[in-house]
Amino acid sequence: MKESLIPAPSEDRGRLSEPAPAVVLDGLTKSFPSRRGWLETIRHPRSTKYQEVLRGVSCTVRAGEFFGLLGPNGAGKTTLFKILATLVLPDAGTATVAGHDVVQDARAVRRVLSPVIADERSLYWRLSSRENLELYGSLQGLDRRAARVRAGELLEVVGLDDTGEKMVGSFSSGMKQRLLIARALIASPRVLLLDEPTRSLDPISARRFRAFLREEITGRQKCTVLLATHNAEEALELCDRVAVLNHGELLAAGTAQSIARDMGNDRYRLWTSDPGHPGIAALAGRGVVQAMTSHQSDAPGWTVIEMDVPGGLDRAAQVVAFLTEQGVPIARFEYAELSLADLIERVVEQRGTNRESVRMSGDGDA
Amino acid sequence: MAMREILSLIKASFHTALSYRLSMVLSLGSLLFTVVPLFFVARALQPTMAKSISTEGGVYFAFLLVGMIAYTYISVSVNAIPSVVSSGVATGTLEALLATRAPLPSLLLGLIGYNFLWTTVRAVVLLIAGMLFGVHLAWGQLGSSLLILALIVLSYLPFGLIGAALMLAFRTTGPLASVVLILSGLLGGVYYPTSVIPAGIQQLSAAVPLTYGLRALRRTLLEGVPFSAVAPDVITLVGFVVLLTSVGLLALAEALHYARRAGTLAQY
Repeated sequence: MKESLIPAPSEDRGRLSEPAPAVVLDGLTKSFPSRRGWLETIRHPRSTKYQEVLRGVSCTVRAGEFFGLLGPNGAGKTTLFKILATLVLPDAGTATVAGHDVVQDARAVRRVLSPVIADERSLYWRLSSRENLELYGSLQGLDRRAARVRAGELLEVVGLDDTGEKMVGSFSSGMKQRLLIARALIASPRVLLLDEPTRSLDPISARRFRAFLREEITGRQKCTVLLATHNAEEALELCDRVAVLNHGELLAAGTAQSIARDMGNDRYRLWTSDPGHPGIAALAGRGVVQAMTSHQSDAPGWTVIEMDVPGGLDRAAQVVAFLTEQGVPIARFEYAELSLADLIERVVEQRGTNRESVRMSGDGDA
Repeated sequence: MAMREILSLIKASFHTALSYRLSMVLSLGSLLFTVVPLFFVARALQPTMAKSISTEGGVYFAFLLVGMIAYTYISVSVNAIPSVVSSGVATGTLEALLATRAPLPSLLLGLIGYNFLWTTVRAVVLLIAGMLFGVHLAWGQLGSSLLILALIVLSYLPFGLIGAALMLAFRTTGPLASVVLILSGLLGGVYYPTSVIPAGIQQLSAAVPLTYGLRALRRTLLEGVPFSAVAPDVITLVGFVVLLTSVGLLALAEALHYARRAGTLAQY
């Protein structure tokens, strides 16, 4: 990515500095009809089964914020984005973008929000990158001259300015991905939806692209960005806040640190030269520590045992005292920061499981 | 509706078509292979047809040529929108276009605009070839003829809208396009005047917009009759346009709403 030539935000876009939220989701719910087999269709031609994709999702994204949406495949991230882009209608609940309702005021939403449609085929493959951008510039309301200038600037920003009149069909996946992003930026949106934007980029291009997002899109353009990604480290690097979505439910939202705190992160790392010591087994046997895993450390003869120690720092201190008393050789006992990926897994396991059990018991009561 | 958006989409389609140069040349070249046999067949049938087409120019080759041109236009009217919707759904282009600020009518007109321009180029080539073979046109009634041709197109575009609606909802237009085009070809007076159709079936041709459009078009373009003389046919055609357009727009709006609800805009 080269240094941006994109003009600074206009006066109109300067409204981003207002404290009003950029995106507000309130009880957003969506189900899609499930695909049925022939036999099922013939047996029950009039019945339709639905699969719930979003379940009462509520959340607020502040203007100018970089907001990450994390979760496994099928979590509902893409559906949520399509609702925000006015391409899918919600069943219940509301979603507003810069104060405009996505159902009642869809055209106004499209004026301020651009999705990056990740499908490469959605580009015009028989046209050049410039022609693609100029076309979308004009569809986004720019006059011919403005579209041409803006296309030139964006091609330079995404590093495609030297592609000349080459047809997009001959581009690599990474080049097409960058063009898709440039296409979404052509109208200087106030809210940008990015659905796994770096999935086709090589590691170096991905890193440059992340820097571009941080410096140009949120830094200079003051654009609000919603990023759906599987890459937890990418989210950690870019996002002010993240939300974890699983089976259509928003399980947690906040900074990575606050989610870790809410999850009661109590993971510790013990370095010992005697991993089979009965003192360690005794701790596990009494349930004082949980989820123990071990692996060899880089230092020869030393093993690292990771364990959950529920009960805060006091309990951790008791564990250290007990192990010392038992004569366990200890080189280190340290707090283990959870990676974001581990954190998501933990959120999905804990909150997803809890809600599942609540639903199941609710079903039983009914 | 913004002209700029429509023109940009037409330009994009033109550049895309231009990248398939051989196909473009063959498309025009093939017209010659259509006109030449048509001329000789028409000349052979002229004595038989002369009486029945006496009020529509009287020359069977010209009669056929105008019928074929009108049929090409209605074929594009019926097929173009479902075709662009279908390919747009398959490639994701439709979703990308619908996410822009451009209103739907502009998008649709822009997407099919090139098809009509190319059809017009082909029609002009056909007419020039026809004139080389002796066809006489009433140039004084060119404006009226173009207006009638536009009404013919407008009366068939709603079938395209219904086809697009079916494509959005069910991923197929079913037999709609084939039925409309075959019935129009057989009952609308493309190859023979509707007056020669057996009485029992002739009633059906009254329900085909092309019947009125083609009759009016041939009378103005080949006979040179004033617009007022074809007013009854034109008024009927306008009636078809109003009625069918309402149905077509309603069907498309419902289908689009359904596709947005079912999340199938980009699901092939």
